[in-house]
Amino acid sequence: MIEKLKKILALIKKEFIITWMDPKSRGIIVVLPIVQLILFSYAITMEVKNIDVVVVDQDNSFESRELISQFDFSPQFRNIYRVKNMKQMQDKLDNKDANMGLYINNDFSTNITSRIPTDVLIITDGRQTNSAAIVAGYVSQIIADYNQKIAPEKGAKINVITRNWYNPNLEYRWFILTVIVAMLSSVITLILTALSIAREREMGTFDQLIVSPLSSIDILAGKTVPPLVIAMALTCVMTLVVKNFFGMPFEGSIILFLISMLISLLSLVGVGLYISSICRTQQQAILGVITFIMPAVLLSGFISPIEDMPVFLQYLTLLNPVRFFMVLTRGIFLKGMAFADVFMNMIPLIITATITLSFACWSFKKRQN
Amino acid sequence: MKILRALVKKEILQIIRDPSSIIIAFVLPLISILIYMYGINLDFVTVNIGVKNDDNSPDITQLVNSFDHSKYINSEVSDNMSDLTQKLIRSKIKGIVIIPNDFSTNLEQRQSADLMVIADGAEVNTATHLQNYVLQISNQWLATSRYAQQVSPQIVNPQIRTWYNQDSNGYYFILPGSIAITMTLIGILLTALVVAREWERGTMESILSSNVTRMHIVLGKYIPYFILGMFSMIFNLVLCIGVFQVPFHGSYLVLILVSALFLFTSMGIGLLISTILKNQFFASQVSIGIGFLPALLLSGLVFPISSMPEILQYITRILPPRYFITFIESEFMAGTVPSIAIKSSIFLLILGIILFVAVYKNTDMRLTHD
Amino acid sequence: MDTVTIKNLTKKFKEITAIDDLSLKIEKGKVTGLIGSDGSGKTTLIRLIIGLLLPDHGEISVLGLNPETQKDDLNKRIGYMPQKFGLYEDLTVIENLRLYADLKNVPYDFERLLEFTDLKKFQSRLTGALSGGMKQKLGLACVLLGSPEFLLLDEPSVGVDPISRRDLMQMVRDLISPETTVLWSTAYLDEAHSFDTAIVMNQGKVIYHGKPYDLAKTTEEFENKVIDLMGGYRKTSSQIAENYVPKNSDIEYTVVADNLEKVYGDFYAVKNNSFEIKKGEIFGLLGPNGAGKSTSFKMMCGLLKPTGGTARIMGIDITEDPEKARSNLGYMAQKFSLYESLTVKQNLDFFAEIYGIHNIDLKERVDEIIDIFGFSQIKNQKSRDLPLGFKQKLSLACALIHNPPILFLDEPTSGVDAITRREFWNHITSLAQKGVTVLVTTHFMDEAEYCNRISLFYKGETVAIGTPSALKERIHAKNMEEAFMKLILESKK
Repeated sequence: MIEKLKKILALIKKEFIITWMDPKSRGIIVVLPIVQLILFSYAITMEVKNIDVVVVDQDNSFESRELISQFDFSPQFRNIYRVKNMKQMQDKLDNKDANMGLYINNDFSTNITSRIPTDVLIITDGRQTNSAAIVAGYVSQIIADYNQKIAPEKGAKINVITRNWYNPNLEYRWFILTVIVAMLSSVITLILTALSIAREREMGTFDQLIVSPLSSIDILAGKTVPPLVIAMALTCVMTLVVKNFFGMPFEGSIILFLISMLISLLSLVGVGLYISSICRTQQQAILGVITFIMPAVLLSGFISPIEDMPVFLQYLTLLNPVRFFMVLTRGIFLKGMAFADVFMNMIPLIITATITLSFACWSFKKRQN
Repeated sequence: MKILRALVKKEILQIIRDPSSIIIAFVLPLISILIYMYGINLDFVTVNIGVKNDDNSPDITQLVNSFDHSKYINSEVSDNMSDLTQKLIRSKIKGIVIIPNDFSTNLEQRQSADLMVIADGAEVNTATHLQNYVLQISNQWLATSRYAQQVSPQIVNPQIRTWYNQDSNGYYFILPGSIAITMTLIGILLTALVVAREWERGTMESILSSNVTRMHIVLGKYIPYFILGMFSMIFNLVLCIGVFQVPFHGSYLVLILVSALFLFTSMGIGLLISTILKNQFFASQVSIGIGFLPALLLSGLVFPISSMPEILQYITRILPPRYFITFIESEFMAGTVPSIAIKSSIFLLILGIILFVAVYKNTDMRLTHD
Repeated sequence: MDTVTIKNLTKKFKEITAIDDLSLKIEKGKVTGLIGSDGSGKTTLIRLIIGLLLPDHGEISVLGLNPETQKDDLNKRIGYMPQKFGLYEDLTVIENLRLYADLKNVPYDFERLLEFTDLKKFQSRLTGALSGGMKQKLGLACVLLGSPEFLLLDEPSVGVDPISRRDLMQMVRDLISPETTVLWSTAYLDEAHSFDTAIVMNQGKVIYHGKPYDLAKTTEEFENKVIDLMGGYRKTSSQIAENYVPKNSDIEYTVVADNLEKVYGDFYAVKNNSFEIKKGEIFGLLGPNGAGKSTSFKMMCGLLKPTGGTARIMGIDITEDPEKARSNLGYMAQKFSLYESLTVKQNLDFFAEIYGIHNIDLKERVDEIIDIFGFSQIKNQKSRDLPLGFKQKLSLACALIHNPPILFLDEPTSGVDAITRREFWNHITSLAQKGVTVLVTTHFMDEAEYCNRISLFYKGETVAIGTPSALKERIHAKNMEEAFMKLILESKK
């Protein structure tokens, strides 16, 4: 038994030397994800800021200028371009020089003074429907405030008070950081594992391993542990960056967090080794990785929630380790998820890991023809 | 010319022999379009919530019902707060709406009535959506309820029009935009290994000692994969316009020309990786590492570029998909807007040429020892 | 008129001096052989001559051109066959020929070449599916296209069987014009002896340049003279064998192949192959490229599943308990298959450990191997950067490291210099005397004489089996090479 462990240890050591000793390799494993973590977390936001408005003010009255200045004061809006007519407004919008248009009729001030309801035309850019909807929301709020200002009458009104648990100020960065950590770890883990066997096959070294007295399980262990350890270390480093550099609160239990990361990464290692074991060349392996990782990231629930997908796709995402990895990181980080819930989310990961790793192991034996 | 033709022919034969690259050129677009079509929804999300009603007035039951009738919300009513809280922690529901016991009384007295929403802040998007939904639904209810006359009328009413996409159909921009992401990947992946492979297999050594010039080697790689890439691009467009019926208002000629320019640029990235690293293992790692996530996250398809910090906005300028997304969304929905088409083309052309020159410069005509 | 003039050429790779103040002239219209020990700088010299590498110091003039500045003009007039022969394995034979014809701007006129190479019926076969000898012939054919003025061939005959080797030589002689200069690097000294001129290199310097015939009249003598020039070979007792601890076992036939068979579709790669190897016997598998030697080899060690028959190692069926069977095995593959990104020492450590040598034993054993094989200078070099001969040496070292009672060596001496070859065989024969069973393939017919018994393989079948002298006698041949050719010819009928 100890003999066997020592052999596996030798395999592990070899993998470490190969992946760690080359400076290029270290750059890919360490520098690339950390740079991306920082870059993405500053860049990614669903908020819409720096909105440029193009205005046609036919009224040009005190009231219309007052309304326009509301936009100027709002932090989300940046530049206000005044143009003369609809044609010029259209040009600005067509060219994306402005994100929205505001058209004020010439009876605007008269209507307001005589308390007659009046319309202003808001044009949003449907070429980006999600931004358009958010912009429309901001505008409605500004106009509601303006109404309040010009007619501060009391009346029945519903006042929605929101408490956001776990993230009181709805910091988008808190959300996205947990997502990015899971996403980058997944990508790196797959990169580390998916090529490892295909590469040894191409080089002929895999035959040399098969001829040695190592069993398939030994080889599997030798191929599983190193990427797992490297990915774990990387995830821990990223977590520290998230916690200390970005100052994000960590609510859950560290031990649960480590265990769930281990299981998540293990299932990804399984997927990577599975891809590697069915590919003859590195070219095929890399194409296999992308065919897996692209859907896995897109269907992980971070861009668009799982509950919103067609039922068929929802079932498909049960096979997606990235999905549960993200749920676990976010849950433990922000919500302090408890053991029972963590465990429920681990079940699909454990199943994926078992299936993929056993298949990879089996394929080592089978590959003799 | 003859030499170039021979190199291109050789590369095409190699592509045919290992069909994995052909498969990827057509399978990846198919998978990706299906995912963006059915799996991604940026416009609205359906939120599961719990409703706790402490107000016994019969009018309020209508409000409770209208939450359930909304297509944006699935609600369950419960009086057990701790039960709802548990569900929130487990992500079974994403928010809790609490109607306080003085809600109807306040409305009756022409006062503002508080409606409490507890949202799962861990999922920021959903939380934001939920807040808006509750506001909309409750205001709609208010306007039709018997408290309507208690409401003072709005003087200024915004009339919101969505141009270029009257129905605000998100797929009309996501599907064309997704082509940019897919084609960035395909452009990089097809080419990232092809130079490294020749160094590893030793064929480069014989090529270098024949009559081949540096330009031959570079063009001999660009041309065949450009052809394959263009087939893939056209397949993408056919899926998008033909199969999924995304309305197209632009010019096919302009679309094809700018697409070609874009492909030329993203292939440049792949070839540069391959030329510099000369090692398939590293080239594949780098191409996935830099090819996929930055294109997805920083190109402006899902996350608006204008909201990023200024420095990062400059960084996105080196990403070819950024220009292509702006262009293709506009081309599909607004028709050819000359300034956008020209601006995107110029940027893509500049990037493409820089990459081409970098590939050319880094193409070694001799062996180097490292 | 000289084709190549080199003055005071020096080339260094980091601290290693590959070419050391070398001056040389290569005469036009002659076939010059380039020989020398492993790592003596042969490949580097060839690459410098055609401008693939740039010199640190010194001048090179090739066909009146400077390879440093006029590489493009030079390329048009030379033909270069690198060690990895530069063929596209995923292209067919004819596609490779057409590619190189286009690159050299010559018409598609392959009749004569295909005739010579015997590749006519394989035109549309993928190059990767050709046997080693056929690949070499095709590589040579591609180089000969367009009748270059100067041919540079870097070990074209590594891993090629004697018949194909003779064909290669014939091809070059017949297809070039009298003005063509040939620089032919080789490890086969019989080949070198037949050339017009020989250059012997050692440690980046030319140590002999002249007519091979002047050095020695016969091939055997030539080999001895060259070995003397390179520092000489002194046979010492093999340390490996001395330190070998025999494992007790009363099995008489340690390696048994019983009716092994491998069928692909309706093609028999190996057909009812049976042999029994006694403990301590050296058993040679000989045969032309593509005869099925490697396939048999792979079945014997369990890399390929036979479609029929069994292979037993120390009485254990390889398909039934592969782990146990393989723990008795030291295996050296034909193609270098150690970890290229690991250093020499790391490779040795790794293979020792997976065969169960640990801790203090490990250190002792690895140090010992480094010492015996003379790796101390290069132990921290990545194995990727080693010259071919050293790679082979390292492969053998890894196969021997765990003192296996059985050795499977697939072309262990391909690409290895004459001295190292003798050292290899010294180890092998001494180990056999200690009871190690050896199954070996080779294309050097003089090496076949070391075997106790030989099985001659052709088209997947055994055509002759017996001791070397019995085989020679049977066909009335004066040496193994002749016996080989005659026996193969006989079975062709």
